[in-house]
Amino acid sequence: MISVKNLSHSYNKDETKAVNNISFEVQKGETFGFLGPSGAGKSTTQNILTGLLKLQQGEVTVGGFDLKKVHNERFNKIGVSFEQSNVYGKLTAKENLKFYAKLFDVETRDPDELIALVGLQGKEKVRAGEFSKGMKHRLTFARSMLNNPELWFLDEPTTGLDPAIAATIKDIIREQQKKGTTSFLTTHNMFIADELCDRVAFIIDGEIKLIDTPKNLKLEYGKKLIDIEYVKDDKIVKETLKTVDEHDKKRISEIVNAYDIRTMHSKEATLEEIFIEVTGRGLV
Amino acid sequence: MLKKILRIFIRDIKSTKREQIALYIVFAPILLAVAITLFAPGLNDTTVNLALLKSDEPAHIEYMQQFAKVELYDDLEALETRVNKRDDVVAIAPKGDGYEIVLQGNENEIVQTYSTMLNSLYEIGATPEDTSATIMSFGKTVPPLKTMLVNMLVSLTVMLAGMLIALSIVTEKAENTINALNVTPLSQTGFVIGKSMTGGLVSLVSIVIALFITGYSGVNWLMVILVGVTSMLLSLIIGFVQGLASSDVIEAATNVKMIFLPIAGSIVGYELLSDKWQWTMYWSPFYWAYKANDMILSKTADWPTVLLCTGMVLVLTLAVFFIARPKIRKGLS
Ligand SMILES: Nc1ncnc2c1ncn2[C@@H]1O[C@H](COP(=O)(O)OP(=O)(O)O)[C@@H](O)[C@H]1O
Ligand SMILES: [Mg+2]
Repeated sequence: MISVKNLSHSYNKDETKAVNNISFEVQKGETFGFLGPSGAGKSTTQNILTGLLKLQQGEVTVGGFDLKKVHNERFNKIGVSFEQSNVYGKLTAKENLKFYAKLFDVETRDPDELIALVGLQGKEKVRAGEFSKGMKHRLTFARSMLNNPELWFLDEPTTGLDPAIAATIKDIIREQQKKGTTSFLTTHNMFIADELCDRVAFIIDGEIKLIDTPKNLKLEYGKKLIDIEYVKDDKIVKETLKTVDEHDKKRISEIVNAYDIRTMHSKEATLEEIFIEVTGRGLV
Repeated sequence: MLKKILRIFIRDIKSTKREQIALYIVFAPILLAVAITLFAPGLNDTTVNLALLKSDEPAHIEYMQQFAKVELYDDLEALETRVNKRDDVVAIAPKGDGYEIVLQGNENEIVQTYSTMLNSLYEIGATPEDTSATIMSFGKTVPPLKTMLVNMLVSLTVMLAGMLIALSIVTEKAENTINALNVTPLSQTGFVIGKSMTGGLVSLVSIVIALFITGYSGVNWLMVILVGVTSMLLSLIIGFVQGLASSDVIEAATNVKMIFLPIAGSIVGYELLSDKWQWTMYWSPFYWAYKANDMILSKTADWPTVLLCTGMVLVLTLAVFFIARPKIRKGLS
């Protein structure tokens, strides 16, 4: 569905690149995640793929359309949910969706049904200008599903939402996955990437460091870890050590022999810890 | 495509109805038209109002009706009451062999003289055909001051189209909704046309209403619409450019106001410069639009001149368009 080769983008059209020579492919029916901290270049990439930013360098096809040429009709098959909600404040929730639906040439979903789906039932006739940030975000998200997109772009779909609503959004995304929708999802939340994505790209400073399935990543990088809490000089000290690392193994026995152990847990590495190991930096 | 353009238009109208500033922009010309009509009542009236008695000789009444607006009353008392009302009405009543002219005392001198002269002419039995003078007419049938005011109002209304567009663009920018439109099958051209329709139609309707209110319903409407639409184009371009260049409503309003300057300049130039110097204003499309409207409103316009003026407006607008187009394209994406 998406093919990207050697894509670079500079906002100032100079050597500072927001996206630097990235390549990846998204298969039909797949949910592909871009995981990286704020400023990594996730939104920039999505904006190029959706045509909001002009393609400067690289070969990109989206849904079979070459981005170098203008094809407005491709948007009949594409849905875009924005990181920053963008709805008409003067229009009600329903008017927003009804207006937007009319811009497509394909059959669209019932606005009321979508509004209810994102938990905004009862607010159909309220102007979006009176909505909270989270409500606007949900309306923007609902709008992206109006044209039953085959290819769905989700920029930080759960960021800023309270956990219950984030869970609803995740359920909706899973539902779409079952229907075979292809998704491109950006997030700086490792749980989202882990739970929703078939494959994840680690992106930092505009570069993709690796691409793999969350499962493979955990198998490969997620060596067993041990969290140890012990008492040293009347203070509780915490360390996380790998059971497969020679140096760490020695350290574990040192601690066990020398100090009073409080707690000791073994655990699997999270995507975030793997991210740190691969990129040398965290997700915030 | 047409359906989508219509959607953009309808949505804009909906938003306009719910936006105070936009409503103000829409209703300002109509309020001004009412103001012109209220505060300049005499401007349209070159005729003199006479009050006569119903019992007067029919020949007298008929004669007077040719040259003045005549109101008829039952008796002398009613006649006097009428004369004492605020406006300038002169009563003429038969008395003895001749006539008596009844005045309130504060009437315009011209009105007094005119009424007296008219009555004298009747008494000696003169008709316009008796004159020995040849008649030369400049063809002006509408008083110039009112025409000027209404023409200015039309120029202002055309500009408001640009303001409406700028306002709507600024709002789209602030809410970032343009991005949402850019990921639909709607083309940029469709977006621009839909938005233009809002500003254009709203201000065309305002012009028509304003002309009706101010008493210009007898003008050549085809000419009014033609000049209106052509001069609107420039206003729309300016609206788009300013809307895209400004970050908020106030800034946009200020920027659009800047074009008051060339408009005002063009009007002053047209009204005050002698024929010898009129060419110095030829660069301004507003000048040509104002000139065309002046002739249309004073009912002296002929098609060749109107077409020449609109042609000039179009050529000059096209020049502006080619300068502004890259900016608009870039701003919208
Ligand atoms: N409109 C812009 N103009 C200039 N620089 C930008 C713009 N948008 C983003 N950037 C820069 O590009 C880089 C990538 O940003 P972005 O793609 O938004 O990151 P992410 O979505 O991963 O948080 C950042 O360094 C950011 O400051
Ligand atoms: Mg982002």
